Amino acid sequence: MNCHRTQDSFIDYQTGTLPPHENLAVRAHLKTCLTCQRQWADLQQTLLALDKLPEPEPTPRLRANFYAFLEEAPLEHVAPSPFALARSRIDSFFAAILPSRPALQFALTIALLIGGVAAGMRLIPPSAPTIITRTDPATQQELASLRARVESMDELVTSRLLTQPATNRLRSVLAALNENDSNDRTLAALLNTLAFDPSVNVRLTALEALYAHVDRAPVRSGVMTALAREPSPLVQVAMIDFVVASRDAQASPTLTRLTRDPSIDAVVRQAARRGLAQL
Amino acid sequence: MLAVRAGELSRLGDLFERHHRPLFGFLARLTREPEVAEDLVQIVFQRMLKYRHTYRDEGKFSAWIYHLARRVATDHFNRRKRIPTPTDPTTFADVSDDGTPAADEQAAKSDELNLMQNALAALPSEKREILILHRFQYLPHDEIGRLLNISAGTAKTRVHRALAALRDCFFKLRRNPSAATS
Repeated sequence: MNCHRTQDSFIDYQTGTLPPHENLAVRAHLKTCLTCQRQWADLQQTLLALDKLPEPEPTPRLRANFYAFLEEAPLEHVAPSPFALARSRIDSFFAAILPSRPALQFALTIALLIGGVAAGMRLIPPSAPTIITRTDPATQQELASLRARVESMDELVTSRLLTQPATNRLRSVLAALNENDSNDRTLAALLNTLAFDPSVNVRLTALEALYAHVDRAPVRSGVMTALAREPSPLVQVAMIDFVVASRDAQASPTLTRLTRDPSIDAVVRQAARRGLAQL
Repeated sequence: MLAVRAGELSRLGDLFERHHRPLFGFLARLTREPEVAEDLVQIVFQRMLKYRHTYRDEGKFSAWIYHLARRVATDHFNRRKRIPTPTDPTTFADVSDDGTPAADEQAAKSDELNLMQNALAALPSEKREILILHRFQYLPHDEIGRLLNISAGTAKTRVHRALAALRDCFFKLRRNPSAATS
């Protein structure tokens, strides 16, 4: 390897991102070339001095000015988007005609459900009579048991869905289905929820549900991908705990990036450093 | 940002709290004028609000914010060219009482940090900017490439060249601190 190529490779050599054979070539060249040794040493000193430069700190004026602007922003700058305006008008319309108390909302929902079922039964003609084959007593018992299980599950899901917030809804659905269900579709749905659900609580619950499948590489990979774009510090810390619990060494680069990103919350960076120490 | 786009103005405060510090760091290093950088940060958030309808939830939000910041900085430098601002001598760090020009006093200093500050300031603006984005804002090469409309490979090469230029400038100043005034 000549001097020009060696010096071009210095940054990658320092960050350890050179392919192994090039790494060896640079190292071998540095052992014998005084010019490149000097250039390498100079570069190290430059980077050290550069990294020691203090971080510019804004004065309190910046925050004060920003919040003054936010408070006094003219209407033309804060006019809601046409979609938001339409949505707010729709919301106002329904708020005016629907009851506001939760108990009344629940009663109206049940009434609508019953009414819908009744209307369906009147409108949809009955199907042709089915031929019931005689089954043996054991099969009949099994069918009855399954029917009872489905009915009780329906009741559980319906009552919980209608009365509880998003977090409990998600937990209830998962518990009602099968806690140990490792169906790929279910896991994909959980990872999707973790990555895109707007509710912090729902994302945290999805992560909690994924703990049972931490041994699966696609799950770990999905959580790490979601961690890279997660905006909530609370969920970020929970995800860091997850990848640490998985003892997956492949999480190290992701955690290292988090510790170095100044836009990341300080608590999250601390959790990432702690996680790195444990991995 | 999606919430701000939909009209939830208060969420701009959340974005401010999360991003104003690195944004200020970027603009302060780029302009070398912290007071100006504070004003530019304000303008970035004003534009964020004004142009919120143009925000697309593609890629990282930080990439969009740096895109806005670069535009604001460019506008600032262009304005400066059109309307030269008289330099206020009190903005220099060391103004001696006997009227000796501050530059001479600063040039006499052998403090490594000051040398590095001067070396960074002496770089052409494009090299300084790419170094700031890579070393201080921790943007990876592919993100820098997208921001500057170049490939990740080209961004990497430019970072290398900028570091080499910084190294040369730094050691030149070390050997001859008075070169900072030239």
